[in-house]
Amino acid sequence: MADFALLHRPALAGAKAGSFGAPSTGARITLTALPEGHVLQVLAARDSDHLQDLIPRIGDGSPHAVRPYGPGQWFVIGDAALSAAEIFGKTPLLDGMASISDQGHGRIRIGISGRAVETVLAKGTAVDLDRASFPVGRSAMTLIGHISALITRTGAESFELLVLRGFAESLWDELIQMSLEFGVDARATQ
Amino acid sequence: MASLIACPHCGPRPKEEFTVRGDAGITRPAPDAGEDAWHAYVYLRDNPRGRHKEHWHHTSGCRRWLVVERDTMTHTIHAVSDASAEGATA
Ligand SMILES: [Zn+2]
Repeated sequence: MADFALLHRPALAGAKAGSFGAPSTGARITLTALPEGHVLQVLAARDSDHLQDLIPRIGDGSPHAVRPYGPGQWFVIGDAALSAAEIFGKTPLLDGMASISDQGHGRIRIGISGRAVETVLAKGTAVDLDRASFPVGRSAMTLIGHISALITRTGAESFELLVLRGFAESLWDELIQMSLEFGVDARATQ
Repeated sequence: MASLIACPHCGPRPKEEFTVRGDAGITRPAPDAGEDAWHAYVYLRDNPRGRHKEHWHHTSGCRRWLVVERDTMTHTIHAVSDASAEGATA
């Protein structure tokens, strides 16, 4: 029995919001705090690349719900919040070949888009984000500056970043800084 | 120190994404191997000039342990492989 109620507060609720930087360059960046729905970490043995087709079973069917980031490692992501029972109920769908860990409390999604989005992200990561080598749907776990994040391309000019909750606001502030030369609209409300 | 490591899982990444554990060539002694063997295993390391194999952890990427073979003098990277591919468990 809890002595006091735990209140869930979105990690970016109090983050910097508004328009910053260059007035209008035609290549403005938009930053969006995305819903803190569910973030499931799926882990399997190292020779588990064949599970790739199995993982979408526990997703919500939306595009880019399944994000591989290493051998036998995936994040499964969606906008809807899931109860512990709902998450536990997904385990049998993986036929005992992988385990699911709820990371909904621990990782935050940030959307970033605009014509100059590759240039902005290239200031922070060494991953080649050119569309030819990093097509829509591709994910990469990397460093943005000194902050670890999973980058996923969701469109021709849009990416999603998955970052540890405690680093979300730092990354948010850094992304605003990195976008100033193009102008940036930051939407922290969800 | 070499600056770009070609992770077999993630592609070329800067060294800042990795944690270096050290010499990949040493073998863990048996529990009863004696004090000298354990002292050597824990504390004593060669400081080679030239080709050297090390365990590198791709901490900020795929989180796999890798074996990186590099030249300590020229910084050339000769080979990078997943540590489990060699059966290395030390
Ligand atoms: Zn890697």
